[in-house]
Amino acid sequence: MTSEKELIDREDLTAVMTLDQQRSVFKNIDLMVIPLIVLLFAGIFSFHFALTVGDWDYWVDWRDRRWWPLVTPLSLIVLPSVFGYLLWTRLRLPLAGTVSIISLALAAWVSRVMNFEVFAGFPLNMVSPSTFIALGLILDCVLLLTRSFFFTGFFGAFLFALLIYPLNWPLMAPFRVPVEYNGILVTVADLMGYEYIRTAMPEYVRIIEHSTLRTFGEAVTPLTAVFAGFLGILSYFFWTWIGHVASKAVWIKRIF
Amino acid sequence: MFILSRVVGEGCKIALMLMSFFVATTDAVAHGERAQQAGLRMRAVQWFDTKIEPVNVKINEEIRITGKFVPSKFWPEHMKSPADAAFLNVGVPGPTFIRLDSRVNGVPMIRSTSFELGKTYSYEMRLKARKTGRYHVHTVLSVEGTGPVIGPGAWVEVGGNEGNFENTVKTLTGDNIDLESYGMRNIVVWSTIWFGMGLAWFIYWLLKCPIIVPRFKMVAKLGDKADEMITNGDKKAAAIFLGITLFLIGFGYFWAQEKYPITTPLQTGKVHVPHRHDPGEDKVDVEVIDARYRIPGRSFELTLRVKNKTDQRVQLGNFTIANVRFINSKVLKVKPVDSHDLVASEGLRVEDGMIDANATKEIKVFAEDALWETYRLTSLIYDPDSRFAGMLFFFGDNGDRFHTEVGGPMLPVFM
Repeated sequence: MTSEKELIDREDLTAVMTLDQQRSVFKNIDLMVIPLIVLLFAGIFSFHFALTVGDWDYWVDWRDRRWWPLVTPLSLIVLPSVFGYLLWTRLRLPLAGTVSIISLALAAWVSRVMNFEVFAGFPLNMVSPSTFIALGLILDCVLLLTRSFFFTGFFGAFLFALLIYPLNWPLMAPFRVPVEYNGILVTVADLMGYEYIRTAMPEYVRIIEHSTLRTFGEAVTPLTAVFAGFLGILSYFFWTWIGHVASKAVWIKRIF
Repeated sequence: MFILSRVVGEGCKIALMLMSFFVATTDAVAHGERAQQAGLRMRAVQWFDTKIEPVNVKINEEIRITGKFVPSKFWPEHMKSPADAAFLNVGVPGPTFIRLDSRVNGVPMIRSTSFELGKTYSYEMRLKARKTGRYHVHTVLSVEGTGPVIGPGAWVEVGGNEGNFENTVKTLTGDNIDLESYGMRNIVVWSTIWFGMGLAWFIYWLLKCPIIVPRFKMVAKLGDKADEMITNGDKKAAAIFLGITLFLIGFGYFWAQEKYPITTPLQTGKVHVPHRHDPGEDKVDVEVIDARYRIPGRSFELTLRVKNKTDQRVQLGNFTIANVRFINSKVLKVKPVDSHDLVASEGLRVEDGMIDANATKEIKVFAEDALWETYRLTSLIYDPDSRFAGMLFFFGDNGDRFHTEVGGPMLPVFM
């Protein structure tokens, strides 16, 4: 066994001499990179979410049965798909869905409390974020169990979009309780939107079930959920392909 | 030379920045009323009889806003009008007040509606004080596709203890709920459960640390057989997490259905506001013969042909344009209620202004005050459409008041 002095005297200088040292270095890399990735996800995802979903998830009186369960999962599935491809093909880590959505959730809570409640003065129950972490978990677990992007898209992405409404129903149900206000039927959410003044958000700005799908009567929610599920499958395949294209890093090879 | 010019250039930039900061801090205390284009402010909505009272309240006390408005019959064609969709709103800094009630012609305005151009509507709103402070409270008419049209405002001072604020309502299921905190427990509990689940999955993989470099090297080494890195333990963990996740979603849904069996979807749609004839309208017809703004003298000169259809003599007492009131002090005594009340108490002069009953007469009107400039109404000459609109108020011998909107092209006079 080579002594430490002999190791230091060797011509090919390297900072890592033993397996323990190597392990320690790798751990330090994890310690540095993982929090950075979480922060990066939080930043990118928050920005992306604000631009695509935005008000639909900021306010309790915007989460309707048609647009919120359709727009939200299609926007949410982007990062889990792109980074899911990267993390799985390079590291065999089924973490992109969960970690990216946890990062988003952390950033969202900080934003809602600091911006909406403390700074702007809205009650927190009116502006709390919905919960989506379960959807990321489903996507990651299906990916690990099937080890296939195809089946993950087919089953995982379908469930990802399908289950957003029942997942959030425990949070939303209290706000759908009916109230009679000045002779008009409203929900608790509608009433909060009316009472807590938002000068830049008149009532007509809310996009509540704008479409002709009202002919389906009470089946609005399951219909939208299934439609969102199918779009989720296509969306997952598309963004996974984007992840595949991005991971080639051809331009890096061209530089070097 | 180059360095000198750079230094001078940078110095000017810094100076300009500091100057703009100084100017901004003196004026950034209301709602940017002057920011809107002058022509739009004149030709959008004519607000009048606006009362905001009381102006000193405590937390939980109410203020009442009443008045009238007329969506201008000279509404700019390039903007979507309130005849499509509009909403009676209020301009306050966020939920410093809550809106308890708002009505137009007696119809509750919790939904959007539409308003006919040129018709007079009466509105009333009740607000309840929620946050302490000093606020400029405005009426606002939000118009779809156009944006907010700001009406007159007043400063309201709110004192007291914010912790005492209450906002309870009774649901149709018979529960009395506090809207400030209702439903929060559900949100916290379920969000915490899902955070816990997500973190548990994350920690399961973090416990295998180091994970990045070793797994990267292993995947590169194994190539197509990289799936062998997934152990039976990993598969079991994934199956358990997936099972628990699906179970919790189902459980949560049915639990919520059980707890809140009666729910309705979010409500939307428009309401109809019937027009009610105002006693002050359609009694005096006015035709604009000439309208000129004399820039050096800050004087707006109107030549009007007035047809008095009433049975009493009338004279012009008030000309309101872009929420600025020019008052004929020989007819009316009006003082500003605060520093932001746009009143020129002696700003209106009328030559030979008495019009006999059932007569038609030409009169010359001068609206003169520095408010033309301070409220940037003179920037009308920079609008691509140099037309004005405003509301004239005539007063009869019997004390009755009659209003009529006027408008038309306006010419600037530069010398």
